[in-house]
Amino acid sequence: MNGRLEKLEERRETPTYLVLLFLLLLLVMGIVLPKGARSLVTHMMIFCILAMGYDVCFGLTNQCSLGHAVFFGGGAYGVVLSMLHLKVGILPAIFFSLGAGLVLAVIMGLICVRLSEAYFVIITAIFFAVFHLFAMDLTWLTGGDDGLSLKLPSISLGPVNLSLYHPMVNYYFVLTFLAFSYLILNRIVRSPMGKIFVSIRENEKRLQFLGYDVFRYKLMAFIVSGIFSALSGGLYALTLRYGSADFFSFHWSIMPIVWCLIGGLGTLAGPWIGVIIMSLFQYYVSAWWTYYLILFGIIILMILRISRKGILGYLISRRFT
Amino acid sequence: MTVGNKILETNSVTMRFGGLTALDGVNYSIQEGEVRGIIGPNGAGKTTLFNVITGELKPTSGKIFLRGTDITSLPPHAICQEGLSRTFQLTFIFPEMTVYESIWVGVNSRARRPWNPFILAHQAADLSQRTQEICHLVGLEEKMNELASNLSYGDQKILEIAMALSTQPSILLLDEPTQGVSPQETDNITEVVEKLSSKMTIILIEHSMDVVLRLCSSIAVLNEGRVVAEGSPKEISKNEEVQRVYLGEMS
Repeated sequence: MNGRLEKLEERRETPTYLVLLFLLLLLVMGIVLPKGARSLVTHMMIFCILAMGYDVCFGLTNQCSLGHAVFFGGGAYGVVLSMLHLKVGILPAIFFSLGAGLVLAVIMGLICVRLSEAYFVIITAIFFAVFHLFAMDLTWLTGGDDGLSLKLPSISLGPVNLSLYHPMVNYYFVLTFLAFSYLILNRIVRSPMGKIFVSIRENEKRLQFLGYDVFRYKLMAFIVSGIFSALSGGLYALTLRYGSADFFSFHWSIMPIVWCLIGGLGTLAGPWIGVIIMSLFQYYVSAWWTYYLILFGIIILMILRISRKGILGYLISRRFT
Repeated sequence: MTVGNKILETNSVTMRFGGLTALDGVNYSIQEGEVRGIIGPNGAGKTTLFNVITGELKPTSGKIFLRGTDITSLPPHAICQEGLSRTFQLTFIFPEMTVYESIWVGVNSRARRPWNPFILAHQAADLSQRTQEICHLVGLEEKMNELASNLSYGDQKILEIAMALSTQPSILLLDEPTQGVSPQETDNITEVVEKLSSKMTIILIEHSMDVVLRLCSSIAVLNEGRVVAEGSPKEISKNEEVQRVYLGEMS
């Protein structure tokens, strides 16, 4: 008689074994890929964490935030400032970036999450705009547009010293975080908390009458989302070895939405597909056509015309009809 | 369950929307274990009364007591946690969730840590057992794995009741459970409510007199936001004012 919830999860969520296979593929690709492609994939994996984090907010609980650049930038500066001023190592710096994400998400969440849809979108966008302005203006702190450069100490794991200057080490460093992020988020989605998140998306008002304080759970989702977005920002700063006001730019608020829409809202690993398509597009097509985004917009529209659930959402739902 | 103490009481509850008075000083109480029908013409304020009791609307004035405690200012989720649950007139479900999952979510709301991120949802054995019990009770066990949006309208109405039951209420508010469903489905729904009536207090808004007469031990008649009559089904059908405002309207 058991397993009924699992049965439904199959219908709606990405099969875990497929994602694990893909992670295994990434593990092999780290050795096989040529240098340029490896760094591209490293960036993609960082974006995948941001995409998953955003999916918790938009895909699971239907909160369309335009403020995730704040978490991304906050995470990046969490790493940069803690390493520059507190002289901490790389792993503690990552904790600072998670902490920055947590604090920012709590502050923003307490103000925004109560608001109904359109107001939520606008106020989160305003948060992003304010933070971007501050990052540009407070050059003594953030370095403004020019940014602040980092010198990376090596990570010592027992007898082994790892230097992130080595592209291969950087690749596996990011892959480790991607794998852990996925496993943690996947676990959350399949826990009672995840069920509550999905019911919020389905019918928020009905959930109130089942005895849930909806605000509290939307806030939880927002915070989880903020923390993983910050992790992504922190890893990006480490990989580029600098942080600038650009990390707060609108790009980082918009891209997660695009990734999630293409890949499939609420599927966690679906947005990875969005990341891959968008990054490849940016990398290859932008080289021969400046206005490649127009083409990209048309492709997004076509994908959403075929299925509102995005690519992976479409594939998953096809298996059950 | 024996009929006993007052479980729910409204104390001159008034609800105004601008110039419209939907509820006009409603004094109303229900005993524990009772099955109470509320009838009245359209626009009499029946659903508004439900909305006020369940916390969706705050009354303009007046107070509501559940087992003697004032619940007037509590939000809907807190009132639900106090053991008061409701269904909706137009089905109000989780369309892309299965029957099983919809009920599971309600059952989970009474768990000690409903948000627990450290376990897998399907491993909570007590919750899945309780969910299955409810499915059996309302007769949806064959359709547990169907998406709520794929159910027939009558089954969606039953799912509404099942979801309301999932939070273990001691008092259940049903808003026109048989509205718009076929006679066969009406029978099913009536049977389900009849089964429940021995376990909990029920307030039932209903237009079908057959259903009301079959289920309810007492009836209140609402007209223009006021309780115009209260009593046993027999007394109500003889009451002249009731015939004028309600039964008369139908002839």
